[in-house]
Amino acid sequence: VVEHPVRITAEEDDLVRPRLGVFFRIVLAIPHYILLNTLGAVAIMLAPFVWIATLFTGIPPAALTDFYRSFLRYTLHVSAYLTYAARPYPPFLGGPGSYPVDVAFPPYERQSRWSVGFRFFLALPAILLTIAHGSGLALGMALGGTLTGIWLLGWFACLARGRMAPGMKDLAVYSAGYGIQAFAYLFLLTGRYPDSDPALYPSAPLPAHPVRMTGLDDAPRRSRMLVFFRLMLSTPHFLWHQLWTIVALVAWVLAWLCALATGRVPWPLHRFLAAYVRYTTHFYAFFYLASNPFPGFVGTAGSYPLDVAIDPPAPQPRWGVLFRVVLVLPALLLVQILMLLQYATAFLSWWAALFTGRQPRGMRNAQAYALRYNAQVWAYGLLLTARYPYSGPGDWAQPKPVAELAPALVSWFTHPELP
Amino acid sequence: VSRRAAANLVLAVIAVAGAIVGAILLSKTTIPGDLKTPKIDVAREFAGTDLGDAAAFERLLRWTFIGSQVTLVVVLALYAKHGARYVRDSAAGPIGTGFLLGMLGLAFVWIAQLPFHVVDYWWAHKHDVVEVGWFDFLFGDWLALSAQFLFVCFALLLAMGFARRLARTWWLPAAAAFVALTLLFAYISPLLASGLRDPKGPQLRAEAAEIARKEGVPSIPLKVEEVHEITDAPNAYAFGLGSTRKVVLWDTIVGFPRPQVRVVIAHEYGHQAHHHIIKSVGWTALVLIPTALLVSLLTRRRGGMARPEAVPVALLVFIVLTIVATPLESAASRRFEREADWSALRTTRDPAAMKGLFQRFTSEALADPDPPGWYHALFDDHPSGAERVAMAKAWAAREGVPVP
Repeated sequence: VVEHPVRITAEEDDLVRPRLGVFFRIVLAIPHYILLNTLGAVAIMLAPFVWIATLFTGIPPAALTDFYRSFLRYTLHVSAYLTYAARPYPPFLGGPGSYPVDVAFPPYERQSRWSVGFRFFLALPAILLTIAHGSGLALGMALGGTLTGIWLLGWFACLARGRMAPGMKDLAVYSAGYGIQAFAYLFLLTGRYPDSDPALYPSAPLPAHPVRMTGLDDAPRRSRMLVFFRLMLSTPHFLWHQLWTIVALVAWVLAWLCALATGRVPWPLHRFLAAYVRYTTHFYAFFYLASNPFPGFVGTAGSYPLDVAIDPPAPQPRWGVLFRVVLVLPALLLVQILMLLQYATAFLSWWAALFTGRQPRGMRNAQAYALRYNAQVWAYGLLLTARYPYSGPGDWAQPKPVAELAPALVSWFTHPELP
Repeated sequence: VSRRAAANLVLAVIAVAGAIVGAILLSKTTIPGDLKTPKIDVAREFAGTDLGDAAAFERLLRWTFIGSQVTLVVVLALYAKHGARYVRDSAAGPIGTGFLLGMLGLAFVWIAQLPFHVVDYWWAHKHDVVEVGWFDFLFGDWLALSAQFLFVCFALLLAMGFARRLARTWWLPAAAAFVALTLLFAYISPLLASGLRDPKGPQLRAEAAEIARKEGVPSIPLKVEEVHEITDAPNAYAFGLGSTRKVVLWDTIVGFPRPQVRVVIAHEYGHQAHHHIIKSVGWTALVLIPTALLVSLLTRRRGGMARPEAVPVALLVFIVLTIVATPLESAASRRFEREADWSALRTTRDPAAMKGLFQRFTSEALADPDPPGWYHALFDDHPSGAERVAMAKAWAAREGVPVP
C-alpha cells in the first residue's frame, strides 16, 4: 500500500454538531454553492488549455494548477461541511490547513505525455466511481451516491443526537476524498491514478464488533473464465439465496418472538441465521468479484476466503428487539446506497480482472468494506447481535475497544449504558 | 465365471431384451405395413417453388450444424482433459464444485458454438426466415442461457447426490429420476407456456373441434401462439400429457389456405391421438438408462461421479452418447411424424391440401424437400417434403381419391 500524493487529512473531533447549524446547513451552504459552481464552470472552460499546455511541456502551468488546487480543496471543504464530516462553516477558498478535513497536493510534477494525451479517457472509470460516491454533492450535481446518502441520514442523526456518527463521518471523508483524487487526476494535478482503497483515507480504528470480516489478505488472482461468466455462474446462487431468504424470514420471526420472551435468540436459530448471513456474504463476495472461488451453498464458517465471524448469541435488550425492524431502517438505507458503489466497483473490476487476471487491491478493499457493513446490518436486523452496524470503512488493522468509541446512531436505544 | 459376473450377465441380457421389447412396442404404428409410397420427381412435384434457393439455404445450415457438433465434441474433449484444474477455483464442496465445473463446461460450449449460431442467424436473416434484430439475437437469450446453467446444476445435483449415496449403482436411480422429471416436464410445460390464445373466429374453432372429435381426442383444445414478430416460418406443435394436452398453431400458419390449416391441425391432433409425447419419453428412457450406465463406467478413472473432477468427463461422455443416439431418436421421431401425417390424411381426406402444404413449406420456410440421404438418416427428425408428398399420393391411390 503506497500513500497517494493527493493526501486527504481529517482532524479528530468530538463529533458534536449543533442542531441549529445542522438544520439549516443546506441553506447556509448556498453562498458556497454559488461560488463553487462559478469556479466549476471556469475550471471546465480552462481544462482544454491546461491539457494542451501540459501536452506540450509535460508540466501543467503553475498558475492554473494553483487555481485547480484551490478549487478542489474548496470543494472538499464544502463536501465535508454538507455531510457533517466537519463542524465549522468552511472558509471561502480556504488555504491549506484552514479546515478540519483537508487535502495536500503534490508539488508540480512532470507527467507522461501519453498519459496526459489520453487523460480524459483514462479518468472515465474513476469518474464512474466518483458518481457512485456522489462526489458532485458540493456542486449540487449528485442525484445519488454515498455522499448524498450521508447528507440525508446524517441530517436526521445529528438532529436527533446533536452528534455525527463516527462511521458515517469517516465514510464521508473517504467518498469525498476519492472524488478529489479523481478530479486531481483529471485536471492533471497528479499523474497517479486515484486509489479506491478505504484504508488509504483517514479513518478511526475499526471498533470491536460481534460481526467481523476475516480473510482480508485473500490473493488478488482471478480466474478469467470465472470472471467472464460471473453473472451466469451466479445463477444457482441467485435462486438458492432467494429460497434461503424466505426460510430465514420465517426463522427471524421465531427468533424475534423468542428474543422478546427470553431476552436472547435460541442457539439453533442463531446458528441458522448466522449461516444465512455468512452465505450471503460469500455469495456477494463472489458476485461482486471481491473474491475468486465459487462459493458453497451452506455458509460454513471459514469455507470462503472473505468470511464473516459472528459471535455466539448474547442477551439483548427487549426494547431493542421489539423495535429492531424500525431501528435497522437507516442502516438498510445506507446498504442500498452503498450498492451503487458495489455495482460500479464490480463493473470496473470485471474489466480489470478480465484483462489482467487480478482484482485491483483498492476496489477489492472497497468491496470488502461494503460487504462487512452489509453483514453487520443483516446480523443486526436478524437479531444476531444487539450492536448497531458500524458504517465507517475503519482502519481494520487496529481494532479498538467499544468503550472508547462514540456511540452509533441509535446505540443509546439498544445499549443504554453507553454515553 | 464367478456367480457375481454370471448374475450381472443375466441382468444385462434381461435389460437388453427389455430394451428391445420396449423399442418394438414404441415403434408400433397405424400406417399399413404394405403401404407402397411412389418415387417422387421432386422437380415436378415442387414446380413453382424455388428448389435451388431452399437447397442452398439448408446446405449451409447443415454444414454449420455438423461443424458445431464437431466443435462441441472437440471442446468437451479438451475440457475433459484440462477442466479439472478449475477445482482450485471453488470453495463450494464436492457438489458445489461439480456445479461450477458443469457450468463452466456449458460456458465453453456456448463460446465455441457462438460463431456457428451467428452464421446461422445471419443466413436465416438474409433469407427473411427470422425477424429478430441482431441486438435481440445477441442479448435476448440470456434468460434461456441462465435456465440452461440452472438445469446443468440440477442434473449434477441429482447425479452427484445419488453417486455420493450409492457409489457404483447411482446411475439407475439417477436415470429413473431424470425420466420422471422428463415426464413431469412434459406434463407441466403447457401450464408454464405463456402467450397462447384461443383461435380467432368461430369457424376455425369449429373445424378444430370437428377434427379433434374425428381423431378421438375431443377434449384437447387448440391454441394460437403469436410469433410473427420473431419469425415468418410456419409451424405447429402438440404438447402436454393427460389433462394438460394442447395443440398449438403459430400465427404464421393460421393465414394459410384453410384446407392446409386443417391438415396441420389434424397432424397435430394425430400426435395426441397416438400418444406420441409419452412414447417420446419412452424413447428418452431407452437412451438415458444406458447413457447413465456408460457415464458411470467412464468416469470411474476420475474417482466416479461423486467427485467433481469427473464432471468434465461426464459432460463429454453424455454429449458424445447423445450425438451417437441422435440417428435412433431421429428415426423414432420421423416414424411418429409419418403416423401423424397418415392420421391427418385419414381425417381430412385431402391429399391435395397436404401436398400444397409441403410445397408451401419449401417456398416460405425454405425447407429442402429432398435433403442428402446421409444427413436425412442421421439427423432429420421429420420426413422430407418429398416423402410426405409421396405418402399423400400413396394414401390417395389406396383410398381411390384423385391423386394430387
